[in-house]
Amino acid sequence: MVREMSAGPSRRRLAGALTALGGVTLLAACAEDAPQDTWQPAGENAQRIQDLQWWVFAIAGAVGLIVFATIAWVSVRYRDRGQPIPRQTHGRPALEIGLTVLPALILVGVAIPTIGTLMDLSRTSDTECVVNVTGQQWWWEVDYPPQEGCGGFSEPIVTSGQMVIPTGTKVLVRGTSRDVIHSWWIPRLNGKRDMVPGRVQTVRLQADRPGIYAGQCTEFCGLSHANMRMEVVALDPADFETWKANQLADYTAPMEGSLAAAGEQVFISQCATCHQVDGLVNADGVPIIAQPQERVFAGAAPNLTNLTTRNTFAGATWDLLTPTCRDDVWNASPEEFGAAYLAGVSADCLNEVDLREWLRNAPAKKPMYADPEQLGPTDGLNRGMPYLALSEAQIDQIIAYLLERQ
Amino acid sequence: MAIIERPVPATSVGPALPTVTPSSSLGVFRRPVAATGWRSWVFTVDHKRLGIMYGVAATFFFVVGGIEALLIRLQLAGPDGTVLSADVYNQMFTMHATSMVFLFAMPMAAAFGNYFLPLQVGARDVAFPRINAFGFWSFLFGAMFVNAGWFLGGAADGGWFMYAPNSGVAYSPSHGIDFWAIGLQITGIASLSGAINLIVTVLNMRTRGMSLMRMPVFTWMILVVQFLLLFAIPVITVALFLLTFQRVFGATFFSVEAGADPLLWQHLFWIFGHPEVYILVLPSFGIVSEVLPVFSKKPLFGYPFVVFSGAAIGFVGWGVWAHHMFASGIGPISVAVFSMSTMAIAVPTGIKIVNWTLTMWGGKLRFTTAMLFAMGLVVEFTIGGLSGVTHSVAPSDTQQTDTYYIVAHFHYVLFGGAVLGFFAGFYYWWPKVFGKCLGERLGKWNFWVMIVGLNLTFGPMHIVGLQGQPRRMYVHTESRAGEGFFNITFWNFAASVGAFIIAISVLLFLINIWHTHRTAPPAPLDPWDARTLEWMTTNPPKAHNFDSVPTVHALDEFFHRKYEDVGEGDEHDLRRVATAEELLAEQEANADHHIHLPSPSYWPVVLAFALPIVGFGVIYNHLIAVVGASIVVLAMFGWALEPSVALDTDYDPPAPDDGPGTELATVGGGRP
Repeated sequence: MVREMSAGPSRRRLAGALTALGGVTLLAACAEDAPQDTWQPAGENAQRIQDLQWWVFAIAGAVGLIVFATIAWVSVRYRDRGQPIPRQTHGRPALEIGLTVLPALILVGVAIPTIGTLMDLSRTSDTECVVNVTGQQWWWEVDYPPQEGCGGFSEPIVTSGQMVIPTGTKVLVRGTSRDVIHSWWIPRLNGKRDMVPGRVQTVRLQADRPGIYAGQCTEFCGLSHANMRMEVVALDPADFETWKANQLADYTAPMEGSLAAAGEQVFISQCATCHQVDGLVNADGVPIIAQPQERVFAGAAPNLTNLTTRNTFAGATWDLLTPTCRDDVWNASPEEFGAAYLAGVSADCLNEVDLREWLRNAPAKKPMYADPEQLGPTDGLNRGMPYLALSEAQIDQIIAYLLERQ
Repeated sequence: MAIIERPVPATSVGPALPTVTPSSSLGVFRRPVAATGWRSWVFTVDHKRLGIMYGVAATFFFVVGGIEALLIRLQLAGPDGTVLSADVYNQMFTMHATSMVFLFAMPMAAAFGNYFLPLQVGARDVAFPRINAFGFWSFLFGAMFVNAGWFLGGAADGGWFMYAPNSGVAYSPSHGIDFWAIGLQITGIASLSGAINLIVTVLNMRTRGMSLMRMPVFTWMILVVQFLLLFAIPVITVALFLLTFQRVFGATFFSVEAGADPLLWQHLFWIFGHPEVYILVLPSFGIVSEVLPVFSKKPLFGYPFVVFSGAAIGFVGWGVWAHHMFASGIGPISVAVFSMSTMAIAVPTGIKIVNWTLTMWGGKLRFTTAMLFAMGLVVEFTIGGLSGVTHSVAPSDTQQTDTYYIVAHFHYVLFGGAVLGFFAGFYYWWPKVFGKCLGERLGKWNFWVMIVGLNLTFGPMHIVGLQGQPRRMYVHTESRAGEGFFNITFWNFAASVGAFIIAISVLLFLINIWHTHRTAPPAPLDPWDARTLEWMTTNPPKAHNFDSVPTVHALDEFFHRKYEDVGEGDEHDLRRVATAEELLAEQEANADHHIHLPSPSYWPVVLAFALPIVGFGVIYNHLIAVVGASIVVLAMFGWALEPSVALDTDYDPPAPDDGPGTELATVGGGRP
């Protein structure tokens, strides 16, 4: 968005002239409401990239137009109209050298700011807050290590699919992977960074305004690569504290005899092997610790302690909110966004359709190598959530239980 | 030419030639000496027949890859497509790229190189004709092997870049990747043997007077490509070898838990993969560098600049591979270095665009179909080159990489570059190869429909990419599509429509071939008023190419034999002094007396056929591999013991003393 740039007047005038030249690719910047538009930066890092790339696009567009205009002119001017056979000249070295040096100079002009931006974007010394992400087929785990940053964390928080950050804060994402290479990309906040098993890679994020910033895994990671998304939710620092306190709140058991209480039992028998819910205890009062490595090849499953404070599930691919409620949150003004997001998923707003389909038969909804024959090389361990043969009654109970995981 | 002179009649003059006493070819089979029928194709060692066979096979895989592309575009035509499952979709895009890169573009370049390079340097065949045949057959059997996965439990599904660890058995349990990795090692043998063959041909077998700087640019570009292949193919072979060991024998080259770093694969793959891009486009650059001068009636502007920029691309192309890894986390210093080297390679590429444009400048332009395709390349490749500059800017690339913007970029480079160049070559050289000109009317439809289709398919991909749609996703959804003019749903639909328009244009081309061969009259000897040596012989050329090999005095030798500048002083006044027919008649009148050509052989095809048997053995049962390896050994012995020229007794009835056993070629008049 050239218009939004904080540029001086002369630069803006130049930009205006070159916008026309940039053609379709440059105009792509002006589309509205594309959640992953790479030309609508919403934070410092993405803005730095934008400041660099718009004029590279403009130069490229201008060069292209000059070339095309020349070819068009040549094809009209020199078409065969019966003129004599032209002189068999083999070229003019001076012109050749000139036309070699000129693009080289243009490219030097591009290279210098490129290197500057590159070095700025790789800086980690000014980090104010660290968040870890771990990719796994086909979802992202997000965890907040104990630290001073982001208002201070005394104990870790583990969540998935959505990363909540305070606005105006320089967040450093440290990422890795548990299986294949994934790529973390929130276009409106920064470029992408591959998350490689065995390595820890970093990428900076900073959001200026509260809101949801969509992203998607961009390194091909197998069967459900298309169904591996993520979102960054920016809350203003006060709302962020509220969110944090809620995440660390004690477990509230369902009311005895309620549907949710039955759901807790189903959850313990069917889900808790893999999915951790902090504070959940068995009949003897012993904490239940999930052992996903016994069932899942990559060794982890999403932590569901506060599932319905998030508004997506299954790799952030499906909404936990009905379309109306979802739009209310996504389109909320920056002032109202925090409250709308922190309201979580209420019974009225729950997108039961997708959640039920998922619980009925997860691999039918999201391809995850359900065929047992394909599990030979993983010794029978699943890649993703298997079919659990839950009854409709059990699904009702689990949904009632999960709705209380606020 | 691999001519082994047999004892020559006493009438011949000159110094005594070294003689080789041929032994038998294992003494079992007669040589397949037939000049017609299917045997004359399967066992041929003639570079022209092998060129045609490369072309036919490559066209077949172009259609296969095209159908794969159409299925991909059908799936993506609307949100949440259901035409293909995720599994099949992943196989489809993997095999689309594999087909188009390894089984279409590379062998199509080999087709042009094989056919025209010896003709352009005035040679009678390539340096090692049987190795040439072996190259073709190992390409074909390797290509079939790569595709065997479709019928045996699923094709490769890891993307053509096959990043580790996603290429491991745990993540891709079918044998698809095994077939892919072993099949590409076999086609790699084809590329490597072809590269050595053509390099030796260019360096050793140029005709009298053809210094390197008098070589046609097409030959130059093919030479550069062969050097790229010579050094790039070993790298990918190593990578594929490691991958095969990882998958089949449980090695741990890419296993993180064993301490390996998966980025090793990326470096190996792209050290091959980036030169590969130039392997794909430089042949087409060579083709348009032939076509533009002919139809502009001017020499190529700045010939040495075009040649050296091609060579420069060949060198600098080795130093840019990590620009495929700007998001991989290789560190800011590495990124900066590769960012700058990538910008640097834009300079020699730009030189080519400038020179092509200036070749037309001041010319006398005839807009034949071949010329239109060549000009189409200049325009469309420029778009791809410029979008390439936008992602040499590394920070910008971290937004673009792995999105459809990249898909748009490299399709403008490879379709707009390589494919349009090949089509220019088809229309330009068709009369040379088949003796008939392809229909110009259908040809122009072919061109314009293809240009519309190409821009409608790949143009919108710039938009959806910048709007944030990643590559390799089997579905796109409304929730991330956005609204308004640039919404992803609409432009995906447009791209899908475009893909079918491209399919129509390819169909028009095939119809044109069929129609031409049914109805067109024989082409004139020199239909385009061409400039280079391949036009100094019959259409199609005789088995031995030239009755007497021409001596070269200048760049564009053929043109300068036809025209002379009779202007005085600074005036120029080009006058035609000879026709192609007169030049040919003169050549036939002075035909060489003895022209020896190598005889056809069984062994190249037998040896090549054994390779996929070894491959099947590696995948399924090692005993099969032993059988395959035995055939390899047998064929190598048979080949080694076989004389290059068939014995008289190989003919039925046996050839007379002065018959084809000593002289396969039919020559024009005799030397007095």
